[in-house]
Formats: sequence, C-alpha cells, structure tokens
Amino acid sequence: MARRLPLALLLLLWAGTAAAGDDVSIGLAAPLTGDQAYIGIGMLQGATLALEDSNIKGPVFGDSKLKLLPMDDQHNPTQAVLVANKLISDSSVLGVVGHFNSSCTKAASAIYHEGRLTQVTPASTNPEISKQGFDTFHRICATDDVQGPAAAVFVKEELGLSRVVVLDDQTTYGRGLAGQFEKKFKELGGEVLRHDGITQGEKDFMPLLTKTKSVDPQLVFFGGIYPEMALLLKQSKKIGLNVQWMGGDGIFEVTLAQLAGAQVAEGVYSTMLGVDPHAVPKAKDFVTRYEARYGEIGSFSAYGYDAAGVLIEAIRRAGKNDREAVLAEMKKMKDYPGILGPINFDANGDAIGKSVGIYRMESGKFKFLKEVKPASE
Amino acid sequence: MTPGLELFLQQLLNGLTIGMVYALIALGYTMVYGVLQLINFAHGEIFMVGGYLALTAAGLAASLFAGAPFFVVLLFIFLVSMAGAALLGAAIERSAYRPLRGSPKLTVLISSIGMSFVLQNAVMLIYGSREKSMPEVLPPWTFDLGGVTLTLVQIIIFVTGLSLMAFLNFFVKHTAVGKAMRATAENPEAASLVGISVTRVIRTTFVLGSALAAVGGSLFAMNYGSLNFHDGYLAGLKAFTAAVFGGIGSIPGAMLGGILLGVFEGFSAGYISSSWKDVFAFGLLVLLLLFRPSGILGENVREKV
Repeated sequence: MARRLPLALLLLLWAGTAAAGDDVSIGLAAPLTGDQAYIGIGMLQGATLALEDSNIKGPVFGDSKLKLLPMDDQHNPTQAVLVANKLISDSSVLGVVGHFNSSCTKAASAIYHEGRLTQVTPASTNPEISKQGFDTFHRICATDDVQGPAAAVFVKEELGLSRVVVLDDQTTYGRGLAGQFEKKFKELGGEVLRHDGITQGEKDFMPLLTKTKSVDPQLVFFGGIYPEMALLLKQSKKIGLNVQWMGGDGIFEVTLAQLAGAQVAEGVYSTMLGVDPHAVPKAKDFVTRYEARYGEIGSFSAYGYDAAGVLIEAIRRAGKNDREAVLAEMKKMKDYPGILGPINFDANGDAIGKSVGIYRMESGKFKFLKEVKPASE
Repeated sequence: MTPGLELFLQQLLNGLTIGMVYALIALGYTMVYGVLQLINFAHGEIFMVGGYLALTAAGLAASLFAGAPFFVVLLFIFLVSMAGAALLGAAIERSAYRPLRGSPKLTVLISSIGMSFVLQNAVMLIYGSREKSMPEVLPPWTFDLGGVTLTLVQIIIFVTGLSLMAFLNFFVKHTAVGKAMRATAENPEAASLVGISVTRVIRTTFVLGSALAAVGGSLFAMNYGSLNFHDGYLAGLKAFTAAVFGGIGSIPGAMLGGILLGVFEGFSAGYISSSWKDVFAFGLLVLLLLFRPSGILGENVREKV
C-alpha cells in the first residue's frame, strides 16, 4: 500500500498539469467569522470586485476562468496555518490575498513559501514578517516601523507633548506598533511613563486606567484595535482621565466613534497607512460602486481590491498555471496602477513609497490632517 | 485622603464593580451544578444574550417611553432581558439537557459546549459580527467621594446585585420551591420519593440562573457600553472560576467568589500589571484548588458512587 502511494501522487500531479483549460483560483485568507469578521469581510468584498473587473476583461489565460476562494483564519495563527496548507495543496490556486492580522500572516507566510505560492497581504504591518527571507511574501501597505515613528514625531514635535503612557494589546501587531512608537519617542527625548499590556476581548480597563491616571501623562498611545480603543476612551472619561489619545491604523474605523460616542472620541489622533479611499479621486468610482453594493466602505476594502488586483495582473502576465511564473511576474511588477496609488515592491516584498497619513477624529469621522513620507533608509 | 489611599479605594471600587457581575453569573453555574452536577458551559452565552436583549430593549425604550425617568427604562430593560433569558434557559434545558438525563455526565457537558457555540453563532447571525454599542439609558452622573469617582451605573450594579443576592438567599432558604431545590441538590432520588418533581425543580433552577445572568449581562452592557457575541466566553470562564473559587454548589460561595475574583483582578491590574492579571487570577485558583479543593465555602462532599 505504502509503495503505491508515490504513484498515486504522480497521477494526481499529472492530472493537475494536464487540465490546462481548468479554472484557476486565488485564495483570500482573513478573519471571516469572529469579532474581526467585519474587517475580513470588507477585504473579501474588495477582492470580489477586483475579480469581477478581471472577469470582464476575459479569462486570465487560455479559457481559464479565475475564482476566489474565501478562507477563514478566525484571526488565529493556528487556523491560519491550516488555511495556508489547504491553499498550497490545491493545485488550482496561484496566489493568495491575506492575511489581515500580522500574527496570522507571519505564521502562514512560511507555508506559502514552502508551497511557492505568491502572497500579497493588504494589511499586515508588522515589520518582522518581511525579514524572514521568504521571496513569496509581498505587502501593499506600509509597516509599523514607519507608522510608529511617524506617530512619535507627530506627538513630540507637532503636538509638543513629552510625557506619555504606552498601551498595547499584546498581539504581534499591537506590540510591534507600540514598541516602535516608544523607541522613537525616547530617541526624541520624550518620557514614557509606563508601558502596559491589555488582553484582546477584555472589557474592564478601569484598574489599568486608574493606574494610568496616577502617573499623570499628557497623551496615551495605544497599539491595538478599535473595540478596545473605544472601551479605553469611554472608561477613561468615567474615571476622569483627561488626556489626548493616539493609535495606529487598527483604531482607524468609523465604528470607533459609534462605539465610544462621537463626543468621547473627539480629538483622537490616528495614523493610517496611506490615505482614506474617500479622499482619493482615483478611488472614487470604486468607493461608489462598493458602497452601492455593500454599504459603507471599511478601512481595508480598498486594500483588498488593490492586493487582489496586483495578484491577478501577475497571473495574467504569467499566462499559465505555474506558481513560479506568477511569482517571477510579481517580482517584475512595476508601478501597478492601484486605486490607492502606484504599487511597487522592494527586494523583501515590502511596499515602496507608502506614506502614512495623520488623522484626527472630528464629529465622529477621522479627518485627514497631513501626510508623512517615510524617511529614506 | 492621601493619593495612595484614593488610588487604593478607586481600585477596590473598580474590582467590586466587575466582581458583582461575575457573582451574578457565577450563581447560575453553582445552582445548576448543585442540582445536576453539570458545568453548564452555555451559561456564559446566556449572560451575553441577556446583554443583547438589554441592548434591544434599550432601543425599544427610546421610542416607547421617550422622556420617562431613567428608572422606568431601567426596569423595562431588566424585565425584557430577564424574561427572554429565562425562556431561553428553560428551552435549552428542555432541548439539550433533559433528553440526556441519565446519560454519562460527559455527554451532557459536551451538549452544553455545543449549545454555547450555537448561541454564539446565532447571536452573530442576528446582530452581526461587529461590536454593538449600547444606547445610553442612564444620565451621566458621577459622584466624587473625596477623590474617588463613583458612577451611577456602579451604584445601580451594587444595589441590584446585592438585592438580588439577598432575594435568592431568602428564596432558597424559606420558600417551598427553594426548599425543593435544596432537597434535590442533596439527593434527587430521595427528593422525588417525597413527591418533589425533580424535572420542575431543574427547570426552575435554569430559569432563575438565566434571569440572574441576564441582569449581569444588562449591567455589563450598561457599564461598558458595547457588546460582542464573544463576550460570554471570557466572562463565563471568569464566573465559572469564581464559582469554583467560592466552592461550586454553594450559593454564598458563588457570591463571595465573584466579588473576591473581581477585586483580586482589579488589584493585580492596578498594582502589578494588567497584562498579567488573568495569570494572577487563574494562578490563585490553582493554588486554592491545591490547598482547599472544595473552594472557600464549599463543603467536603464525599464522591458519590
């Protein structure tokens, strides 16, 4: 029995390559259930529109139609690895858009590398991921080592504040962002009074905020996601902690103001990778089309659209069901016209020239303040 | 007051607030365990459903009783949430546990875990996966007691929590139904021999426990202002810990366990590290179980054969 297995595998492989006219697909791996499902579904909807645009242009090659395979990673790295293994073992899959959470992207990237599957993440910003040396990894967003320092410079130099408390949600994303902020802020001569962690999904932050109040900071920087940010804001008002707040792209959600109340959220600063799709003229058609179909656009929907777009373009250029060829085309990609600006990758697969926007919450909406270009290395 | 004392009192208050909520949920765990020796893992979800019902009721109240004083709205929210959760509790007992009575304990336990997933996903489908915000139903009053800030919600949490516990104590000790419950907990066969309908007692236990959890859920929603279909998981786990901490099966134990766990968590987060507070809370549980397996107020019961 065991001896016959390689033969069966060979037959399977043969069947996979022989079926030239068969459909090919790209995976979309993101949290599609659970408390971050909203973000993952936004990415999926963006990618769905990209796929429709591609199908209007006709088959990607021969008469192969392209399909989208939504995969739920439940924002759980263990699940992400399972999803990645499923995708690499499906011979019709030529690339993957995902994941959302840095912890998932990091865990899954090794699997995609092993399976020679081109990966494009629309949203994972942890800088460590691209330093693993996986040539299959690409991202179209900036990294936390751009975002964190940009926020630190803004707080120290533009707002003129020097005493801060740093909080993070102890995830790969939150801790990375908060750590980068803290490092730069100290370099600039600022004082970090405390750095505390919270648990994602926790609701009661009163003890932590009471302690924060006792060290009397001017601003609190939070590396984490909007549901916890909303709770932190609300509860700080309750105990009379009146400070300024700032966070990264994880808090950049319209829902933040709904959850915390527009009054409570007023004046919160946020960095966001790139720009608000509403503020980009080129993205206007996309935003209109998206909102007509799905309702209000989420922060990562346009990124999902662009990530799927650039991947589909690489598949088109490769012109065959061959993962190495798709990867080679991705490496050669120059100035892909994304709706959020041209997409280029450096040798590590990181996006080049992605700027960071600084936003401020005004009457329930994040208003664009200024753009910060990353310092050249 | 010195700043140090102020900080201490504020942290104590923070801990008591969440502790009271834990205690309300823990009561349901302990009561069900008392009569069925079942850890009802779906109980945390009932708490979460109670919160969502409160959210819906608060939305309804805004149009039904526009301009009414806040305690009318509050009463309406409690009633809707308690009634809904009590029905749900009874329905779960009927559909998921009663058919399994007499099966091995593990089967019922797994049924309760399954029920918990069903409830979580049902709420996600009904209310959506996004964090839901609870409408503000209470005036934003805060009271400054010499540097310690007390909010109106906190006062309501203390008053409601303490009076429900007093009521439950009275109910279990002095009413016929309560006595039947204690008899069933002691020995279900003997209880049925003297004419107690064990089935009815179990149903009553689920109804009561669910209604208490729903009050906990409503207070939780009002205090933190937002809800997620995952909230029952962590809160349920903590309340279960509290019930074990106080001595599973013991009603005063669940109250004490909940309050102590909340205070302990608050102090761990406030004085040591908020990232380690769960480690401290669960570490304490492990220590307690090592040295006093029956919990603080639990009696040493001999294993039934």
